[in-house]
Amino acid sequence: MCDDSYVSRTALIVDDHAGFRASARILLEDEGFDVVGEAADGRSGIDLARALAPDLVLLDIALPDVSGLDVADTLAGGDSLVVLISSRQPVDFGARLRETEAAGFISKDDLSAETLEELLRGRT
Amino acid sequence: MRILRLALLAAGAFLGYAAYRVQVDNLGSFTSPARASAIVIGAWLFLLAGLIAWGRRPSNRLGPLLATAGIALLLRQLRYSHDAALFTVFFVVGELSYWVVAHAVFAYPSGRITDRWERRLVATGYSVTLVFTTAILVVYNPAKPLRFFDPTFRKSLLAVGGFGDAAISLQKVFVVVVWGFLATSAIALLIRRLVTASPRARRLLAPLLVAAIAVGLRAIFESVFTFVERPSVILYDYLFWWQIGAFIALPLALLAGFLRARLARANLGELILELERTQPHEIGNVLRKALRDPTLDVLFPLPEREGFVDATGQAVELPTDGSRAVTHLKHDDEPLAALVHDRSLLDEPKLIDAAGAAARLALENARLHAETRAQLDEVRQSRTRIVTTADEERRRIERDIHDGAQQRLVALALQLRLAQRRLRDGTDPEIERLLAATVDELQFAVDELRELARGVHPAILTEDGLAAALESLVSRTPLPVELEAEEGRLAAPIEATAYFVACEALANIVKHAHASGASIRVQRRNGMLVVEVEDDGVGGAAAENGSGLSGLGDRVEALGGRLRVESRPAGGTRIVGEIPCAS
Repeated sequence: MCDDSYVSRTALIVDDHAGFRASARILLEDEGFDVVGEAADGRSGIDLARALAPDLVLLDIALPDVSGLDVADTLAGGDSLVVLISSRQPVDFGARLRETEAAGFISKDDLSAETLEELLRGRT
Repeated sequence: MRILRLALLAAGAFLGYAAYRVQVDNLGSFTSPARASAIVIGAWLFLLAGLIAWGRRPSNRLGPLLATAGIALLLRQLRYSHDAALFTVFFVVGELSYWVVAHAVFAYPSGRITDRWERRLVATGYSVTLVFTTAILVVYNPAKPLRFFDPTFRKSLLAVGGFGDAAISLQKVFVVVVWGFLATSAIALLIRRLVTASPRARRLLAPLLVAAIAVGLRAIFESVFTFVERPSVILYDYLFWWQIGAFIALPLALLAGFLRARLARANLGELILELERTQPHEIGNVLRKALRDPTLDVLFPLPEREGFVDATGQAVELPTDGSRAVTHLKHDDEPLAALVHDRSLLDEPKLIDAAGAAARLALENARLHAETRAQLDEVRQSRTRIVTTADEERRRIERDIHDGAQQRLVALALQLRLAQRRLRDGTDPEIERLLAATVDELQFAVDELRELARGVHPAILTEDGLAAALESLVSRTPLPVELEAEEGRLAAPIEATAYFVACEALANIVKHAHASGASIRVQRRNGMLVVEVEDDGVGGAAAENGSGLSGLGDRVEALGGRLRVESRPAGGTRIVGEIPCAS
């Protein structure tokens, strides 16, 4: 189950829904990530991402203060790989999602170890 | 009053003859029958104008003032008499006649001098003139004839002894003061009144311009005759006839202006005829013409709003700064209309009353019309508000679904998937099956909820606007759809209405049209957002009552737009929504 190549990897979860953050933490930890932080809104997400420089940022699009798409653009070019998530579908975002600086998008419906691994493999 | 006027007419006739004779008999070569007649005719015209104005409008003091001026101008001529008493009395008071004329001019057209400066000028004129003429006769030297007089001996009853040229010098100072300083002030005040008057009042005040010209010409005449030792006969003749001409024109101009209101009232007959051909919203034009006030506005009271509306039903405030006058017209003690007009019309209250009475039925009609328009406008606004509020409510519901139930279900599904993964070691195949079925069921629920939320109000419409939302809609439609939509944001109700037009039309095409393809075109055209949805299907669509399209039609109309459905059997369907978009 554990892949050594991910052991030292760190992750940050940005989502305003506490129940979802808890589940995502289990998922990431199962995948060998060390979840170093959680944020419930976009601004603290940006602050934590800059302070902790995690390898992965799991970023919800619908945040209470700013759009996750804007947070992804702000974090673009940094050390972290940003993966956008949402309970909506890509079709609900149109061109804005296609033009995002983030590494990829996974619908929350489809979020699993497999889809995450697939996306990460494609990027590394 | 009639007897008084007839008596004045008779006195005028007699005094006219007397004035003529006094001039011709006593001034010798200083006058001529033509000149003496012109002076008498000028005075008579003042008297006649005054008597006519007096008869037409007895309550206005302008008539008596003009008549007095006419009599005074005739009496003035008696100063040329060789009789000591006549000479003394009419030399002293005769010059006051010019101030009676000035008094009438400044009192035009209301009969009263309302301006403080004008009142001061006329009062100063009366008193200064009296002081000077008395003083001249006190120092009068019979051996030195006065200016304007023939050299024949005249006796002043006021003289205290000969003072050389003192009387003549005083006469020169008098001309400088009265015809220099006071006349200039009078011209300045007349011009001021013309310049500051509103366009309507200016037309009515035109006679004042004649007055200013008359005063100016008379001042030049007096100055030349007083200060030029031997004026050329031709120059003197010219000046005499110019100034007497202006003087004769003055009472005629004053009378004509004064009677204008009368003529306007005669036009009320035409007004009544014209009203029969007038649409309710055009009543303002007709009254503007009849009352000769191009600035006039007709407003109607709306008791339930405690305010006023114009003929189109738009709410309007009454002016409160006093720059314009307001006359309230009533019928049976009920407010009928308010006329906002030039202040000069206040001088003719009877004219307004007469026009109001003549136009009563038309005004009543126009008031009902305006009231209906106002109510219609209110209904329209309320309809727009309902649509806007409903949209806001839909947006809120979509957000609540997404942030609430949908989030929880998605999180729950993730948790179940995690549990599924941990149980995948094959401990209990029954539980695994149960879990898999639960996850699938949950996924169905989430999908249905998502569709429901999209149908209520797609989030992408709120976030990214119409073009993005339509692109999303097209990508979810199981049919090739060509989309052409301009980027750029519009007001939320307009975007939502346009979106739902396209959405409903596409849903209909998918369900009923058996089309092989469709197209959506959205563009701004002449202040309208035009949404066109076309297909190549079987046609036969109609915006019947109760159908989705008819509901959309109501929605589009609530925003002041319209929805057209063009559909022929086997000829496809074209739905066009036009929504006003101010930009």
